Amino acid sequence: MKDDIIKAHLNLTAVLQNLEDLVQFDDDMAALTKPWDTSLQFTVLRGPKAFVEFKDGACRVRQGSHSNPSVKLFFFSPAHLNRMFAGNGTPIPLKGLTKLRFLTKAFSKLTNKLEYYLTPTDDRLKVTKYLELNTRFTLNTAVFAVKELVRLDPIAKTVASHIGNGRVLIKIMPDGPSIHLDFQNGDVLVKKGDTDRPMACIFMQDVRVANDFLYGKLDAFAAVAAGNVLIRGQTPMIDSISLILDRVPLYLK
Amino acid sequence: METFSYSKSQEFFSRAARVIPGGIYGHYSPAPLIPATHYPFYTARAEGARFWDVDGNEFIDYMCAFGPMIQGYQNSVVDHAAREQLKSGNLTTGASAVMVELAEYLTGLVSFADWAYFAKNGADVTNYATMIARDATGRKKIVMIQSGYHGAAPWMQVPGHHGLIEEDYYHIIRINWNDIEALEHAISENPNEIAGFIATPYHVPVFRDNEMPADGYWQKVEAICRQEGIVLIVDDIRHGFRLDMSGSNEYFGFKPDLLCLGKALANGYPISALLGTDALKNMAARVFYTGSFFFEAVPMAACLVNLRGLEEIQGPQIMQTQGKKLTDAMVDIARGYGFTLKVTGVPSMPYVRITDDESMMLHQDWCAECTRRGAYFTPHHNWFLSTAHTVQDIDQTLEIVDEAFQAVKKKWEDEKKFPFEKP
Repeated sequence: MKDDIIKAHLNLTAVLQNLEDLVQFDDDMAALTKPWDTSLQFTVLRGPKAFVEFKDGACRVRQGSHSNPSVKLFFFSPAHLNRMFAGNGTPIPLKGLTKLRFLTKAFSKLTNKLEYYLTPTDDRLKVTKYLELNTRFTLNTAVFAVKELVRLDPIAKTVASHIGNGRVLIKIMPDGPSIHLDFQNGDVLVKKGDTDRPMACIFMQDVRVANDFLYGKLDAFAAVAAGNVLIRGQTPMIDSISLILDRVPLYLK
Repeated sequence: METFSYSKSQEFFSRAARVIPGGIYGHYSPAPLIPATHYPFYTARAEGARFWDVDGNEFIDYMCAFGPMIQGYQNSVVDHAAREQLKSGNLTTGASAVMVELAEYLTGLVSFADWAYFAKNGADVTNYATMIARDATGRKKIVMIQSGYHGAAPWMQVPGHHGLIEEDYYHIIRINWNDIEALEHAISENPNEIAGFIATPYHVPVFRDNEMPADGYWQKVEAICRQEGIVLIVDDIRHGFRLDMSGSNEYFGFKPDLLCLGKALANGYPISALLGTDALKNMAARVFYTGSFFFEAVPMAACLVNLRGLEEIQGPQIMQTQGKKLTDAMVDIARGYGFTLKVTGVPSMPYVRITDDESMMLHQDWCAECTRRGAYFTPHHNWFLSTAHTVQDIDQTLEIVDEAFQAVKKKWEDEKKFPFEKP
């Protein structure tokens, strides 16, 4: 049960936020969503809430409640939500019944594409565009998951309590993507993009190294020693983040 | 000054990474060396206070194999004793006579000690010490210092690390260093449950300044432990023989119940020791603890000669003097370039840090620039001096330090504009 709640939080934050980048970086999905002016509210009984908003060709995913969503989707338990994310469950629509076609057709196209990018195979990863997007989404999913685990997972919470204040930048060289975590008194904020004056940095040499690193195909210690992954600054912060990142697969496969 | 390259180290590493977890694991892992590519990974040979890597680069060594090399590599006296013992036998059926001689010597050298027990690594004896404490008191809990390091057994590691389960540290209470109130609080919260208190003579956390005991700290700890029936364990594995030949507790004026020694005991030969009071001798005998190689005679012979030699030349004083000469001059050089170099701990095992950059990237760069010019400096662990560090070694180090500050000053000014070094 506890695991279901954590997993639901991860699904509604760490996974769902990828829709923002999917709409931005996949041409087909950009074209699909460009005319959309709609919002979807996800509400889990005794669990997390989040909404997705499409407007002017952009997508915005936020935790909490939308002031006036076009569609309201209700889940009677965290497990119910998790089943939907696994492709085995159907939400209960509370509002926007006229938009069921949108949900089952257009919105499903979008979520199917996200699922495609989050389920790599060796063949798929041979395609540069796929590799880039899979890496971007995986990086962002993992780092946003850290934020949730610090709040919800007891061990991650313990580890985070020892992390000092400051920003940790994770960047794929040479030009990104990048993401950073801002630790303040045991709490953490996550933002996509670079940051000035980080306290610690992880630079991954290129997207291939980053992908192997993120999927555990690379011996992290060996990668650092060989210079394929460069760490700098307050490396105890990186050690702690790494311990929390290693807990993500306990909840998200 | 030429800067080094490490193509052969990297070649060995890439072979190693295929067949050894992490390539090089544990405290020898290159991961904390930043950037790792500026450091050598494999040593070809070593002599005195210097080693040569597989690429032929020569380094003045300020890690001394993380402490053990206290009289320098290939020390002729210690190595001769080891070779002579080897001729008679090393690991044999039946203990060696040199073991008795060594135990007698150590109990004479360390004033509070009535007995000595020998093992291999530091963690062997810190772990054994806690077992003795539990047996002696019939209690379960051990108090240790937050960020204290006593080895790699599960209970010693920081919660949350891989391979640990909650039960491993269920009976471990971590308190802050120099915090008597926290110790008293731990005792009042766990009445008659605390078996032992374990700490290093002064606090040596990685990545943070080392902290000396506050005035009267150890005396208060000693008094509390006596009053509460708690076994006082000093982990002198890292500090041992770099502060005082009679045990670092003597340096700070108190007496523990158990003293853990390792690292510098035998100038690189594998041996650790637990020394204790007569009151704990029977418990030490009845706690079953042993290892296949605990009875090796060669390290014992090396240990005996090494410690006698150190005692004769007053080794700790030599290292303190050389360390002070080095660190005082480094602080001055840093100041000349507009940087503040902070030195904590004792000069024979100083922890050095540039304080001008909170992220430590500047400090990491400086250590790397020194290393690739021949002074092997790790950025986030205390360094170690040995009696083999000569005036010439120190002088050459200071030249390297000066040039590294020049390099880093220029680079740092550039990096303020471009803070991210690309891999």
